[in-house]
Amino acid sequence: MSKQSSRVSSTLELRGVSRHFGSVKALDGLDLNLEPGELVALLGPSGCGKTTALRIVAGLEVATAGDLMVDGVRYNETPANDRDMGMVFQSYSLFPNLTVSENIEYGLRARKVDATARAKRAATMLELVALESKAKSYPHQLSGGQQQRVALARALAVEPRVLLLDEPLSALDAQVRGQIREEIRRIQLDLGITTLFVTHDQEEAMAIADRVGVMNHGRLEQIDKPIALYNKPATPFVASFVGLANRIPAEVTAKGKARVLNQKVEISSTAEEFAEGEKINIIVRPESLELSSESDPDAVRGIVALKSFLGPLTKVGVAVEGAPLIHLNIASKDVRKLEIGDAIAFKISADEVMAERVNIA
Amino acid sequence: MAESMKQKYFKWSLVSVSSILASLIFLFPLLAATIYSLKGKNGQGHSFDNYLWLVHQDGFFPNLFITLKLAVLAAALNLVLMVPTMVYLNLKGQRFKSIVDFICILPLIIPVVSLAIGAQVAMPSLLQNTEYELVFFFVVIALPYTYRALDTSLQTVPLKTLVEASRSLGASWTRTIIRVIVPAIRGGITGALFLTFALSIGEYTITSLLHWETFPTWTVVAAQQNILGAIAISVFSFVGAVILLGTIALVSRKSSSRVEVEE
Repeated sequence: MSKQSSRVSSTLELRGVSRHFGSVKALDGLDLNLEPGELVALLGPSGCGKTTALRIVAGLEVATAGDLMVDGVRYNETPANDRDMGMVFQSYSLFPNLTVSENIEYGLRARKVDATARAKRAATMLELVALESKAKSYPHQLSGGQQQRVALARALAVEPRVLLLDEPLSALDAQVRGQIREEIRRIQLDLGITTLFVTHDQEEAMAIADRVGVMNHGRLEQIDKPIALYNKPATPFVASFVGLANRIPAEVTAKGKARVLNQKVEISSTAEEFAEGEKINIIVRPESLELSSESDPDAVRGIVALKSFLGPLTKVGVAVEGAPLIHLNIASKDVRKLEIGDAIAFKISADEVMAERVNIA
Repeated sequence: MAESMKQKYFKWSLVSVSSILASLIFLFPLLAATIYSLKGKNGQGHSFDNYLWLVHQDGFFPNLFITLKLAVLAAALNLVLMVPTMVYLNLKGQRFKSIVDFICILPLIIPVVSLAIGAQVAMPSLLQNTEYELVFFFVVIALPYTYRALDTSLQTVPLKTLVEASRSLGASWTRTIIRVIVPAIRGGITGALFLTFALSIGEYTITSLLHWETFPTWTVVAAQQNILGAIAISVFSFVGAVILLGTIALVSRKSSSRVEVEE
């Protein structure tokens, strides 16, 4: 695909960036690097500091400590209007008194671009988001999805160094969200623009980003490729926040080994060290549990307490003595005859599991 | 069914009769004044003599002009001062809002005599010698109304995100206010403009206390010479105000139908 932006992609670096509101640490020493043309998603629960980080990059919030570098240049003191960043907001934030075209041209007007070039750029952007026919419409005449596409076109029209997306899909319904998500990724790849995307929706982050950073309590818990984040979570928080995870009580039998229910398991090398005999929780994904035969000595036996059909997979909740309800994701064809109340046997199929101390929430 | 129809009819009748009575109470004196102002010499026949007398009086046009000029300046100054102030208060200065709110109410609490004399003493001597000092007084007396008109309007728009969107697109604060905020709160600005303008063109007490002559003070003097002319002045002032109000309301409605702000 041809690149429609004439600007070379930028690097973005946050070095120990903190933001304190009184005694509250909204952001606590965030280190983050974005390579040129990379899309990084910051994922985390409400109040984890992801939006604060984005707003600091945009210049809408001031960092209490740390450095913000764009292409190696310190940007801490640069006002928001001089940063050359494009930002898309959750609430669209289109200017209601301006038409779609005028909204897109707004940033170019601020840069004193002449009328002909502005009109040409607006037309290109409208083509990019497939809204050519809406050029003369006002924002209130557009659907939510269309408004967000205009907001994206408006942010991109100024050829920003970095594109900042602040939960841009949150206000849209599920079907439109999927469409716009794909559109954002297509355009981002097409333009090769360095992008920081903030979301609390893990599916969204995993689907769109080159790398996903999981944040908690103002800190970056882990940043990695989506698949690595899912399969090799660095912390219990990441393991439980990204994807569905079962927490099953276990006991440490030796260094790096634990007994969970009937089975011996290896504890992930990335987990903290536990003392022998210590009570822990192991964290296992539903798809890392598989059905086994009753005769298998490692098998865990339980009773089916819940069965939810999810299309190709069926989520089965199993009540096991001495553990909370354990969820398994099993191919629907294998559990067709399984009913609530039936006995079931399963075992952990993962090579190693994440573990946490029991006193950790 | 019949009972509900009966109740509906009763309500409709009550509203109609009340409206007609209210209109009559309002319109009768106005109609009477208009008819009276059109009486010819010695109360005989009808003519526009009283209106012609009015416009031929020395000082009619100069005073009307200066009043309009001062009112326009006051409205403009009020907006230049208050729009950025109100934007700041709603955006970043929430903690100062109650203080400013209190200050803006003061013109309603402080007696006009104290306000006029006290403020004139504080006025720079450069301004004390020109009628333009009245502009500042008009701004002050309009503050309680301007504050509320702008504040209400600003609270109906997603101010923070609009400002942040504009700033992130490279716009300066001035451009953001002129191109984004002002159009979004056009209704409130129109209201504030109208209130300042209306208060300014009708202001008598401060102008009189400070010995300046504007249209309201001139009409008091002029009215003492001709009783029918005085009534013509009243009708003229009232009709002028109604036309002004109607025009502004029309402009406001037109702009607000185009600008629909959504969160």
